[in-house]
Amino acid sequence: MTVKGGYFFKILEVDLTSGTSEVRPFDEEFANKYIGGRGFGARILADHLKGRKKRIDPLGPDNILIIAPGPLTGAYLPASGKNSFITISPATGIYGDSSIGGVFGVELRQAGYDAVVIKGKAPVLSALSIQDDTVKVIPIPHAAGATALEGERMVREATGDEDMKIACIGPAGENAVVYACVNTDWSRNAGRIGIGAVMGSKNLKAVAVRGSRDLPVFDLPGLMEASAEGYALIKSHKFFKFWQDQGLMSVVDYANKMGILPTRNFQETVYDRADRMNGYVMEDRYKIGDSACFGCSMSCGNVCLVKEGKYRGTVTEGPEYESAAMLGSNLGSSNFAYILKANALCDELGVDTISTGSIIGAVIEGLERGFITSEDIDGIEIEWGDEDAILALINKIAFRDGVGDTLAGGARAIISRWPEMARIINHVKGLEQSAYDARGAISMALGYGTSDIGAHHTRALTVFNELETGNNLEFEDKVNFLIYHQTVRPLFDMLGVCRLPWIELGFPEEYYQRFYKAITGLDLSMDELFERSRHIYDLTRAINVSLGISRKDDYPAQRSFEDPVPSGPTAGAVIDRDEYEKILGMYYEKRGWDEEGKPSLTL
Amino acid sequence: MHLTVIPERCSGCKICELACSVGREGANNPKKSRMRVMVLYPHPVIRMPIVCKQCGVPKCGEGCPTNAIYKENGVVRLDQEKCISCNQCLTSCPFGAMFLHEDIEHPFKCDLCDGGEPLCVQACPKEALKFHPKHILGQAHRLSAARSYAKMSKVEYMDDGQKKTLKYAKIRKGGSDDS
Repeated sequence: MTVKGGYFFKILEVDLTSGTSEVRPFDEEFANKYIGGRGFGARILADHLKGRKKRIDPLGPDNILIIAPGPLTGAYLPASGKNSFITISPATGIYGDSSIGGVFGVELRQAGYDAVVIKGKAPVLSALSIQDDTVKVIPIPHAAGATALEGERMVREATGDEDMKIACIGPAGENAVVYACVNTDWSRNAGRIGIGAVMGSKNLKAVAVRGSRDLPVFDLPGLMEASAEGYALIKSHKFFKFWQDQGLMSVVDYANKMGILPTRNFQETVYDRADRMNGYVMEDRYKIGDSACFGCSMSCGNVCLVKEGKYRGTVTEGPEYESAAMLGSNLGSSNFAYILKANALCDELGVDTISTGSIIGAVIEGLERGFITSEDIDGIEIEWGDEDAILALINKIAFRDGVGDTLAGGARAIISRWPEMARIINHVKGLEQSAYDARGAISMALGYGTSDIGAHHTRALTVFNELETGNNLEFEDKVNFLIYHQTVRPLFDMLGVCRLPWIELGFPEEYYQRFYKAITGLDLSMDELFERSRHIYDLTRAINVSLGISRKDDYPAQRSFEDPVPSGPTAGAVIDRDEYEKILGMYYEKRGWDEEGKPSLTL
Repeated sequence: MHLTVIPERCSGCKICELACSVGREGANNPKKSRMRVMVLYPHPVIRMPIVCKQCGVPKCGEGCPTNAIYKENGVVRLDQEKCISCNQCLTSCPFGAMFLHEDIEHPFKCDLCDGGEPLCVQACPKEALKFHPKHILGQAHRLSAARSYAKMSKVEYMDDGQKKTLKYAKIRKGGSDDS
């Protein structure tokens, strides 16, 4: 089948060491098989690793960073603003990716590239500037230590182009915090796995892009027909307006009701003060505007301002659910103004809110349990909800100041210094767990355990389904549903679109088959698209296996097995080890992997 | 009819730019749209579609050396025959509502889709773009100014078991805005 649209067939390769770049073409087979986004990223990364004897240091010049939107990114269809960053993660040492919305990926496509591969290390702190065919590495040593937003302004000035869309790291990225983010469009962060640290290690403060090209769409009238229907369908959903009003903040109440809201480092899963930090509080007292990613009518983003009190003047886009839960209830605070302040601080310094909330939560609990002492953390006395101490720790992490140097290394560094902390710091493969407790839903625990990047929810969010079906499902159904999630969600990242219309407003996945056909001219069935997505999951697994991952690494956080949920709707829930072994074995079988979790596919 | 922008409602999604470029240029390319959504942060925080206001006195035309800009049926237009692409109009327009693109020979601007409700207005998911008769302009502001008048008195009452408040402006001597 001929690919008739959707691609420029160009990958931009930039070598920061020499400051040069070249454009590499790819063929139709590559486009057809890997689709784009994280699919392209996984293939390019696998090629980079193939045949190497020595492990790549994630923070060394041999690691590569791939920026890849998908063939649907920027097209006139619902929520097409997504873009993926792919690299070897400094937090986990294995495959890592992170997807952002906003407009950055759209600009990259309009500049005429399907992906950018960044190699080497710049001699001084620099920005990569891409304006259509003009690619430059601009030294910006004066931007050292700048926050993500200051950095963005400096890069804008250095390029002299107000329309540039900029992905910029904060001090945390420069200081190699293993969960450092890269910030775009004010508060859209490519977070979790340490993209920011990889950029920092390459002396790359920012990537600035502006493009002017038409996106290659094979059948524009056909696309218009499908997307007009799609937008209308989304708008007709009974929660559409509510979603515009609250976005992901609506999940706070839902998670609390279901008994999975992280509270005091997941010691509890119901927070008695959740109603002080939910979507309604945000709407009534803090929200001043809506924000949407490119092409999206749902406008999840909430621009919030603190109008009074200690944090007066704090303005940010956010928080969304994960940030509110991990920096709020998980740290014992329901003060929404403080949550906004902490969220804004994380964004400016460039640290991931989920990992930061998880790590500080473990520190507070560790002090309570005597696993660490106040002396260990530079004499700071910190208790649940101690806002000043939390904000001080966030700063210490970003600058690797004192104990921040250990905390900046993530779960693994913390456990290696204080082994007892392994009992209370929730992580998988070195990545801290997202804001959904999994003890009441074994498929979610399995999702965390088998996620290719570590304990993150974007690969599979089966917890609500499992809890709502009253846990009556057979293991086989749970595994099937999990694999379905791990197939459809990565497909969105490959296509370059957002999963939220699908997961939140029930937007049928078949639409993406129509969009894909109109844009590329390829008439693939949903099953054929899923097949490609499953192939990528096998490929990222193969990458991870080549880097030492096996069955031993596919277990959820230790706490999931040891501490039953104390109270609430999921009271008493804990993951049984034997049952987990059983479901994990079943999962491997259904994936076609051997009992050590090794796929037949190699790099 | 007038294309009105309500920036307070805009989410910055750029669906208007897509509708414009696809509908008018046949290209999936926001850079070819006849409007531009500006997103500024954090100081000030604003999302604002920049559109042509079809000015009564078109400033874009004032500096035009060939008089290529003219107004017809309430729409400011560019005569491509006369236009020499000197781009003077781009700097003359105080709103930046004239655009350039390397694929397009002349500067281009909004023509309100040549009748009917403009595509951007139809596509906006936030109702941040409105296509109103001219007499509607200012109504919303007048209404909100009257509603938020500071010296209102109020009376509370029960209606079908629910507590309600009725606000009114008390007639009193000298009770004006600046007293």
